[in-house]
Amino acid sequence: MAALESHRADRLRDRITRRGVLGLFALPFAAIASPSAAAKPLRIVCLDDGLAETLLMLGVSPVAIAGRDIWETWVVEPPLPAEIADVGTLLEPNLELLQQLKPDIILSMPYLDGIKPLLERVAPVTTIGLYTEAGQPYQRALEATRQLARLVGKESEGEALIAATDACFSEARQQLAPLSARPIYAVSFMDPRNVRVYGRKSLFQEVFDRIGLANAWTAETNYWGFSTVGIDGLATSSDARLAYLEPLPEGAGGTLTESPVWNAMPFVRNRSIMRLPAVHMFGALPSATRFARVLASAMTVGAARG
Amino acid sequence: MAGRASPWSFLGNQPVGAILLCAMLLAAAIAATVSNLTVQLPSALWLQSLAAPDIADMRQVLVHYAFLPRLAVSLLCGAALGLAGTVLQQVLRNPLASPETVGVSAGAYLALALATLLSPSLLAFGREWVALAGAFMALAAVFALSWHKGLSPLSVVLAGLVVSLYAGAIGAALIVLRHEWLASLFIWGAGSLGQQDWSTTLWLLPRIGTAALAIFLMVRPLTLLGLDDEGARSLGVPLGAYRFAGLAAAVTLIAFVVAAVGVIGFVGLAAATLARIGGARRLGQQLVMAPLIGGALLWAADQAVQIATGPQGDLLPTGAITALLGAPLLLWLLPRLALGLESPALTAERLPRASRPGLLMAAIGLALLLLLGLALLYGPGPHGWTFAFGDELRPLLAWRWPRVLAALSAGAMLALAGLMMQRLTGNPMASPEVLGISAGAALGMMVALFSISDAGRPLQTAAATIGAFAALLVTLAIGRRAAYAPERLLLAGVALTALFDALILVLTATGDPRAMLLLNWLTGSTYGVDVGAALLTGGIAVCLFALAPLFMRWLDILPLGPAAVQGLGINLKMTRLLVLLVVAALTAASTLIVGPLTFIGLMAPHLARRLGLSRALPQAIGAVLAGALIMVAADWIGRTAIFPRQIPAGLVATLIGGPVLMWLLRRR
Repeated sequence: MAALESHRADRLRDRITRRGVLGLFALPFAAIASPSAAAKPLRIVCLDDGLAETLLMLGVSPVAIAGRDIWETWVVEPPLPAEIADVGTLLEPNLELLQQLKPDIILSMPYLDGIKPLLERVAPVTTIGLYTEAGQPYQRALEATRQLARLVGKESEGEALIAATDACFSEARQQLAPLSARPIYAVSFMDPRNVRVYGRKSLFQEVFDRIGLANAWTAETNYWGFSTVGIDGLATSSDARLAYLEPLPEGAGGTLTESPVWNAMPFVRNRSIMRLPAVHMFGALPSATRFARVLASAMTVGAARG
Repeated sequence: MAGRASPWSFLGNQPVGAILLCAMLLAAAIAATVSNLTVQLPSALWLQSLAAPDIADMRQVLVHYAFLPRLAVSLLCGAALGLAGTVLQQVLRNPLASPETVGVSAGAYLALALATLLSPSLLAFGREWVALAGAFMALAAVFALSWHKGLSPLSVVLAGLVVSLYAGAIGAALIVLRHEWLASLFIWGAGSLGQQDWSTTLWLLPRIGTAALAIFLMVRPLTLLGLDDEGARSLGVPLGAYRFAGLAAAVTLIAFVVAAVGVIGFVGLAAATLARIGGARRLGQQLVMAPLIGGALLWAADQAVQIATGPQGDLLPTGAITALLGAPLLLWLLPRLALGLESPALTAERLPRASRPGLLMAAIGLALLLLLGLALLYGPGPHGWTFAFGDELRPLLAWRWPRVLAALSAGAMLALAGLMMQRLTGNPMASPEVLGISAGAALGMMVALFSISDAGRPLQTAAATIGAFAALLVTLAIGRRAAYAPERLLLAGVALTALFDALILVLTATGDPRAMLLLNWLTGSTYGVDVGAALLTGGIAVCLFALAPLFMRWLDILPLGPAAVQGLGINLKMTRLLVLLVVAALTAASTLIVGPLTFIGLMAPHLARRLGLSRALPQAIGAVLAGALIMVAADWIGRTAIFPRQIPAGLVATLIGGPVLMWLLRRR
């Protein structure tokens, strides 16, 4: 709770410095910092699915998230408790609804800096960047996990999550050691002809590094850690495996099997393709764990089959 | 066909210039192809990979199943578009007609995008049928919009642009609402020629062949369509039937191309125009040269793109790149085409006149007040729809009033800008959207988003303002030579808008997440409007409205035509410039709030007129009130219809505006 208190103190100090600028605007919020409020759990609105999944793993439900309807398609795990509200789309969370939800804090990401001034009118905003120009989303996810754990007063759960993630990686590493000689591509299909291939600066790259696999895609990526290329762009490595993620866009599955280029790709000809269930590609530790787990199971099943 | 004598006419009847141009394009295309092929495969293996590729050799597979079919598709599509462009120009007697400028490509694209996202099972019947339906609907809309102007070249192209913009706005809406598949829709929509087998080639070949054959069988009657109606009729040609047949063939060709590869910008216009100015004066010659030039042009462009992106790169969609080249071409063409100036004549006498305009304006004003009350007080929340009052209202009002004020001001300003444009140009399709100012604002926004990391709203606003005025300067520079003749200005606006569309496609096809921010703004979201922005917009609106009465006498006289204006001792050039400056300021300020595509500027003046307000001042007041009313309603619907999600206000206005506009401009 000490950390929580210190966080509240931070927020109070923040508010006092801003009061000069915002004047009367800050007054309605002053009540939040009163001692009676400290007893209740923090009401968090979380606008980044990576942060939301981390919170859920710490055993804390945010009051609301953005884009609740696509969680089951794109994030899947951990499952979303029913009571979490939807504030609308990520780029335009409904401000009236946010206001009525009376959050104590809004967790945001740098991508949403454009609307930060609006969010700050509802509640103090903490921006945590998992994905930036500098890359290293795993390192950032670790820091974010500790930061969130401090925020909600669940430091031990935070350390447990980090330890569990490490454990999951070393287990996957052992499992996959016999299969680690060949590099692997991780892709999402955009349409039957084009894929996002994940490379440097991506979460999946960092998982590969930790479970002892080599990413077959070594070229540049954007700051979300992917490149969009034609599937034939994946022919550079002759012995690579390919893991593609669900969900598939309309039409991609059917036409794939008929395409001569696809069928001539080395990984198709030597039957080294794996279909993985959806994993949030812009996620944090829980997504990293999930990726390691589904990948290890797909690869070992494939190896067992021959 | 109108047009100057070719510079090569001394060489006799052969289109020497066109043939030379075609040969040059082919030489460039072949050189680029050889260079691309060399990168992929040693030349010793070229023949083998063409005839019987070794499946174990990925390089040969790629050449046989990706590189070569892509080349074939580029040739086929380029030729089809060139042919379609020529037929369209001939049938419509319009040197600016082309698959893009008459809205057909956009219509086909929208139909396919709608089917893909909403009802994929429709595509099982055949993509071409969906594309055809969309293409014909777009063409029908263009005709409906320009019919009362006698399908004059300018009015058709303007209507075509408006329909394209409309289709684009709905397309953007689909993407905003279903953004998971953002990238895939863009890659295809931007005209990526990438292939992975021969199926598209084999699909296109018989279809394009049949349509082309039909066109060549109609050469003689189509030639007669180029004459004036009386000349052709005296020869006993059933004009209507052949005009329809020619149009149908051209539209079918375009639909096939769009169904196969998406929108390939401006190749049709370029090919048809280059064939003509290259000396192909007889239709028969044009029908041969335009497809040749089109094919060679797209082939060369596509190979050049591949040199830039590496083999089979989809990140730089060829269709968008050709569109980038098309805009300068259009700008270059404008002063060189004899379009026949249109006499501005608003059909005032046929419209009803309100006996008591004051009462009418008061009624619109009252409706606006009622709506304002609704927009501020009523809406859905966590516990369903409620009227909010007192303490409950105060926090909500803090969010609502800036948006309502901004929407109100933007709608009112756009309406005034549209009214001024329509009276200035005497063209009922004139509006700030087609003047290129909105496009300029959007371009500025785009540059800010993509060149400066984490550009905040103030920076975006500044960039958009600079863009709007830069676009105005370009348009004015083009118009200055023609003493700001409205036709030239509008066409320059068309070209700028096309350029902007192409840039948007290129940037968004990369799948960059920042593209979503741009799209969000393009569709006219008032979400980010804060107190400062709202007050600023409202203040600008008040200032500009204070200026407006000074213009009303001019706006009464300008529609009478240049002769009447000068007869009354008014400096035409200065008047036009001043009106344009005010229009630009109105447009820039409102575009920042509701995005570049709302159609309020187009719609509100017509609405006021239709209600019987015919003189400039009453029409202006009526239009401003109506514009504000529509925009406030759009914002309210956008905020509440799919709560807690939101539909951008500009988009709602567009969706309302399209059908309303068709009704207002229906054949009288």
